[in-house]
Amino acid sequence: MEYIINFINGLSLGGIYAMIALGYTIVYGIAKMLNFAHGDIIMAGGYTVVVTLGLLHQPIVAVLFAIIFCTVLGVCIEKVAYKPLRGSSPLAVLITAIGMSYLLQSLAQIIFGSAPKMVLDYLNLGVLGKGAFTISVSTIVTLSCTVVLMTALTLFIKYAKIGRAMVAVSEDKAAAKLMGININSIITITFAIGSAFAGLSVIFYFMLTPTMSPTFGAMPGIKAFTAAVIGGIGSIPGAIIGGVLLGVIECFSNMIPQLAPYTEAIEFGLLIIILLVKPSGILGKMKKEKV
Amino acid sequence: MSKFDKKTFSSFFNKLKNVKWKHYIAPIVIAIITIVCGEMSLTDNLKMTYQVMLEKMAIAMILAVSLSLVVGFLGELSLGHAGFMCVGMYMGGKVAAVMVQNAGYGNDNVFVFFLAVLAGGLAAAICGFIIGLPALRLRGDYLAIVTLAFCQIVKTIFINSSAETFGGAIGLWTPRMNRDYMFILAMGLLLITIIAVQNIIRSKHGRAITAIRDSEIAARATGVEVTKYKLLVFVVSSFFAGIAGVLYSYSNAGIVSSVKFDYNYSIEILVMVVLGGMGSINGSLIAAALITYINIELNKYLTGNLAVLQNIIYATILILFVIYNNAPALKDFRERTNPKRLLSKLKTRNKKESSDVRDDEAAWDRVPTKIHMDEILSLDLRIQSNEPEKKMPDDEEKQ
Amino acid sequence: MRKNFKKVLVVVLALVFCVSMVVALSACNDKGGNHFVIGMSGPLTGGASVYGIAVKNSAQMAIDEINALGGIQFELKAYDDKHDASNIESIFANMLDDGVQLTLGTVTTAPGLAFNEMAKQENMFFMTPSASANNVVKDYSNGYQMCFADNNQGQYAAEYFKANYTGKKIGCFYNSADNYSSGIQAQFKANMQGVSLVEASFTDNKAASFDTQVNTLKDCDVIFMPIYYEPASVFMLQAKDTVKSDCVYFGCDGLDGILNMSVSDIPQEISMLTHFDSSATTGKAGDFNRKYTEKYGKDTLNQFGASAYDCVYAIYQAMTAANITDTKISHSDLCNALCEVLNGDFQFTGAITGSDGNTATGSNVTWDSNGYVNKSATKAIVKAAK
Repeated sequence: MEYIINFINGLSLGGIYAMIALGYTIVYGIAKMLNFAHGDIIMAGGYTVVVTLGLLHQPIVAVLFAIIFCTVLGVCIEKVAYKPLRGSSPLAVLITAIGMSYLLQSLAQIIFGSAPKMVLDYLNLGVLGKGAFTISVSTIVTLSCTVVLMTALTLFIKYAKIGRAMVAVSEDKAAAKLMGININSIITITFAIGSAFAGLSVIFYFMLTPTMSPTFGAMPGIKAFTAAVIGGIGSIPGAIIGGVLLGVIECFSNMIPQLAPYTEAIEFGLLIIILLVKPSGILGKMKKEKV
Repeated sequence: MSKFDKKTFSSFFNKLKNVKWKHYIAPIVIAIITIVCGEMSLTDNLKMTYQVMLEKMAIAMILAVSLSLVVGFLGELSLGHAGFMCVGMYMGGKVAAVMVQNAGYGNDNVFVFFLAVLAGGLAAAICGFIIGLPALRLRGDYLAIVTLAFCQIVKTIFINSSAETFGGAIGLWTPRMNRDYMFILAMGLLLITIIAVQNIIRSKHGRAITAIRDSEIAARATGVEVTKYKLLVFVVSSFFAGIAGVLYSYSNAGIVSSVKFDYNYSIEILVMVVLGGMGSINGSLIAAALITYINIELNKYLTGNLAVLQNIIYATILILFVIYNNAPALKDFRERTNPKRLLSKLKTRNKKESSDVRDDEAAWDRVPTKIHMDEILSLDLRIQSNEPEKKMPDDEEKQ
Repeated sequence: MRKNFKKVLVVVLALVFCVSMVVALSACNDKGGNHFVIGMSGPLTGGASVYGIAVKNSAQMAIDEINALGGIQFELKAYDDKHDASNIESIFANMLDDGVQLTLGTVTTAPGLAFNEMAKQENMFFMTPSASANNVVKDYSNGYQMCFADNNQGQYAAEYFKANYTGKKIGCFYNSADNYSSGIQAQFKANMQGVSLVEASFTDNKAASFDTQVNTLKDCDVIFMPIYYEPASVFMLQAKDTVKSDCVYFGCDGLDGILNMSVSDIPQEISMLTHFDSSATTGKAGDFNRKYTEKYGKDTLNQFGASAYDCVYAIYQAMTAANITDTKISHSDLCNALCEVLNGDFQFTGAITGSDGNTATGSNVTWDSNGYVNKSATKAIVKAAK
């Protein structure tokens, strides 16, 4: 009984993590870079929602604005901080990503102040079920949207021309270039898609927790990274599974008072065990190294 | 007798002549700075600001050098360096605290200090061994997430310890070494770290380690014991991270707690290594000192309402620097503004004015061709910068 | 490429050094004016910055008011410790360099536990507005607290619960990784022996969901929550349909600021044991709320700021009492003089306008020999039940 309720809670939290991980894993899987600024792009999207909702009181418009703003921001960051470094060491990009993360955080503090901002309860969809067995509609919406988007993205990557080009770039840049693929524009498109998903995930996050502060970015950053690796780098369904798994583990360990303080340790301990059993993540493919 | 003395002296002198001083430039510079500052500090001429800054720099440099062994030379991404530091800090700090509180030693007792350093280093090394084991099976980002997980687990466990053992959420009380000579001890340990790491890198073990980085399969095929070397690197690197942890506990007044030691701190250390150039110990040292310096100075001058600018300036410096230094498109610009090239140009110009060596026939065996010096240099540079990622194992020596 | 790199590093190092020298020289000029320099250290950036900024703003406000009176003149130097104890050493050194003569200590507890050691060594006076752990001022003769120590808060809360909520099902929601929260909780629990508590904890103030904890605590009549307002607001919003609607949320002073969040439509009552009421419109607290809101807005209005405001006035009053006018006085002499006054039968009577014994944060404020504050704590109903 307790377990069922907390499993549902875990699904609702995991749905958010999965949604965040979805945007992260596209960039991570294709551009092969740890985008430490992803969480901060989500934060920027969150503030866009706060501002547009305050001005216009139109949830749909706010959502669209957030997605557009995040996309533009993502592409700008890519152009300024990542593109010049294409072709150099992959870890150099890591530093500019961290720099961008600091920059966005500080700018948010300057513009919006350090106190958390709240969005009005604009997306309260109520609950389903009776008595103890309730599930909030937003959980169902989040999970189903995640699954739909995941399917769409998988199909896009498999069948669309650009999608296939993206896979080609991720597998072998030099060969992709020889095939006439413009690597630069493909990676920019990847960033645009990833950032659009970041903007989208804000909406689902706000259904669960309607606050936003400048330091918000750290949480989604680490959760998305963990979920993406646990599911297998580059695997889109894997990121979803990883995200949901994280959420469920977190809720179960929070349930038992003696274990609750160790939630983080339990989460990461299980991750280590999973990776030792499956060294390339749950759905990741073992790459054979060629000599 | 005197003849014998003279002989040993001359042979010693010859040996000294054969030492490649370039290899030891970093330890020598650090030793000189330590001696000068130490002298000033012990005669009360060094401000507390600089004492604290030197301590922090030493800790950062130890961390950067030890992490560069894993990231730069073994080629594995580790996001858990703060975890090893945390283990060292708690174990060493606890040993020191018990000795001071129960056995009646003073806060400044150097014996207790070295015991704590040893305890912290060994505890961290054991953790490094345990984390090194999965490293044999995992690769790349999968290994990175395991080290990150280790870091978070360590942090959580120490935060939830009871008040009697490690102080829990409040933190652990540890002794504070006298500020006047704490940084000298820290710099001493830094020297040991640098020399130890450099010797590993320049030995056959180091060549084996870099061979694993360049191609694990090829290394295995040529008979390198990959398992052994991976574990060795993790153990050595975490040992020194543990030492840095003990230094941290000794250089903070009052209470230390593990809240700081999450993956963000690991990433800060990683930034130093990456900024300094992968596989370059001197680079890591300079980057670590520079980052510490910039952060302390920003913190000092940007107070009050300006505090929020600290991260903006720091981030801008990081981004511009990395782009200037790594962007392929800026290669020409980099070469034009390369200070070494400018300097050598200046030098040759001056030389021409003073004496024309090339016309001297006796100098012909020293200068075999008529190519100008700066042309050779720039040719040299071009070859190097064409292949920035593939480095020879003995690159370190060339520097 | 690597070789170039190091040279470039050196050049940049030199540049940065030059710039900082210039800044240092220009900063030197305003040293040693005709005012006392008050230092403070708090998180001005990062996750806890809302508290540091509140303290900085409020202290500045009090200093501006005092300076306008024309008597003793102050200048505030606010350093950013990022809520990290390891920054305290260099901040303290900077304070000495910048000629700071007395301090407001630190805003948060963790850095405070390093600051007190340094202050003791250098004999620097500090009166912290909000670093509330027991040992921030205990054993430090030169340190004073304006807020209640955690021990006292846990104890007061337990006494209040025993007197008012016997027979009710009591829950406790706290952050086990935070020394403020777990400190109060431990003391509360120790004082509530024999009463069964339902406990739920969390470890991350920025966690996205507290659904599990809500589920654990859903049958409680009173929930004691010694946590900060940000996670509290998330908890309350997520719990509003699950937890009984006549349940009472009972917080400590960290809950202050909750009204800045849109919690008005949750059905439960929110109360807290505090020395400051941020919704007050009358008295000294009301004055402070009005002035602060006019100057800095409502976002960062909380008890941290009110305490800092009172700290500056308490220092001002003590300095007037000790008749200190020489602005060249060393920090050590100033510390001795102030401690002598405060350890005597000194009573802080609040901001100058109408010294009726009431301050923004409680009335009849005195300090005991440990540096703990003695004043009245009241239960304030922040928001009544619907």
